[in-house]
Amino acid sequence: MGATFSRTLGAALALAALAAAPVQAEGPDGAELFQLCAQCHGADAGGRELFLAPNLTGLPEWYLLGQLRNFHAGLRGMHPDDTPGLRMFAMARSFAGALADAEMQAVVAYIAKLPVAVPEPTFTDGDPAKGAAFYQVCTACHGADGKGNQALNAPPLTAESDWYLLSSLERYKSGVRSSDPRNANAQLMRGMAATLPDEQAMKDVIAYIRSLGAAQASAQPAP
Amino acid sequence: MIERLLPAASTSATEIDFLFSLIFWLVGFWFVLSEAIFFGLILRFRKREGRKAQYVTGELQSEKRWITVPHLLVLVCDVFIVFFAVRAWHQVKQDLPTAPTQQVVRVEGAQWAWIFTHPGPDGKLDSADDIRKVNELHVEVDRLYHFQLTSRDVLHSFSVPVFRLKQDAIPGRVITGWFQPTKTGEHDVQCAEICGIGHGLMPARIHIETSEQHAAWIAANSTVSVAAVAGR
Repeated sequence: MGATFSRTLGAALALAALAAAPVQAEGPDGAELFQLCAQCHGADAGGRELFLAPNLTGLPEWYLLGQLRNFHAGLRGMHPDDTPGLRMFAMARSFAGALADAEMQAVVAYIAKLPVAVPEPTFTDGDPAKGAAFYQVCTACHGADGKGNQALNAPPLTAESDWYLLSSLERYKSGVRSSDPRNANAQLMRGMAATLPDEQAMKDVIAYIRSLGAAQASAQPAP
Repeated sequence: MIERLLPAASTSATEIDFLFSLIFWLVGFWFVLSEAIFFGLILRFRKREGRKAQYVTGELQSEKRWITVPHLLVLVCDVFIVFFAVRAWHQVKQDLPTAPTQQVVRVEGAQWAWIFTHPGPDGKLDSADDIRKVNELHVEVDRLYHFQLTSRDVLHSFSVPVFRLKQDAIPGRVITGWFQPTKTGEHDVQCAEICGIGHGLMPARIHIETSEQHAAWIAANSTVSVAAVAGR
């Protein structure tokens, strides 16, 4: 009886010691963290206009992380009229504490690996021929093919939703998305957006960017 | 009592704290008394050797009194509670006091931030020198403020715990309320109405400043100078 009790007690103590042993830290789980983002951006991260949430797929990790860090630091999304920005500023606050940056890196790494979603156009009254002329200003950073340039912090444009590009250009031009002087890229884009005289010019240039994307997609070999 | 846990920083906070305390002590008194009698009777008439249980129908006057007398006394307490509750409601929600130095601030709830519009150096809202801030409201101690509360999208609730103030913001409506800060300091503003997935991520801060501090803040944040307003 005594021996049985001792064995049982020994086994229980061994199990308790195992349970108390430190678990090997694996780092934040990007897929799990993305569940919060999916509420607005969609499970495929393809974006939802209803929630003013853009397509996140097709964007490189460095750009997504840079923007997320901007939101987190309050460099973006702090203008009273930046409705989508105010939402993302709050969401970026969900990354808090010592693991904040590691979590942001993990969720961005997860998003960057998602299949590229091709958003449906939401307007058809843009003229790509007229837009090509306006786009010449953009080529310096975003490239003639619209694929972006990491060295200049210029993201690729061809996979983005047209409504979001239009909204961003309008908010850059009005200063809503470029209100913080510490956000140098946004300040630069404010000047660039000022070269577009009106909404129609913005639609034209976006139509041209979409045509670049369509040309690249058709040039891809069929899977 | 409540002020030990949460500072009271507005003129109406004292009234509301008194009402809370009144309810706490009255209800607490009856709770303790009734539980004491309840458990006392259980203990006194517990099962004992050689004693049969008695079937009580509660029809005798002497038995009924155990219910009717406390009932009437509780109703008297209720009259007190209702009187002070109506008085607090009238003061906080129905009365809109005015003062020569009063100012108006606009409070907008949005998913998921508070946008506060302060009057600039001219002291008037909706003029060129207004100061708009996200998640920070600056007010002057002892000054009476009216607030115009709106929502841009869904239901929110403008809650300032140190003022004991809470008012729902409803899209399409402008709700007017008031507060008068009594102590300087920096405190929380919260949304107290579920407004989407970011509801818990939209806290703001209210800065209650001395007149000198507030004037300095206005001068530093307004795009129109104080001198320019004075020269109009």
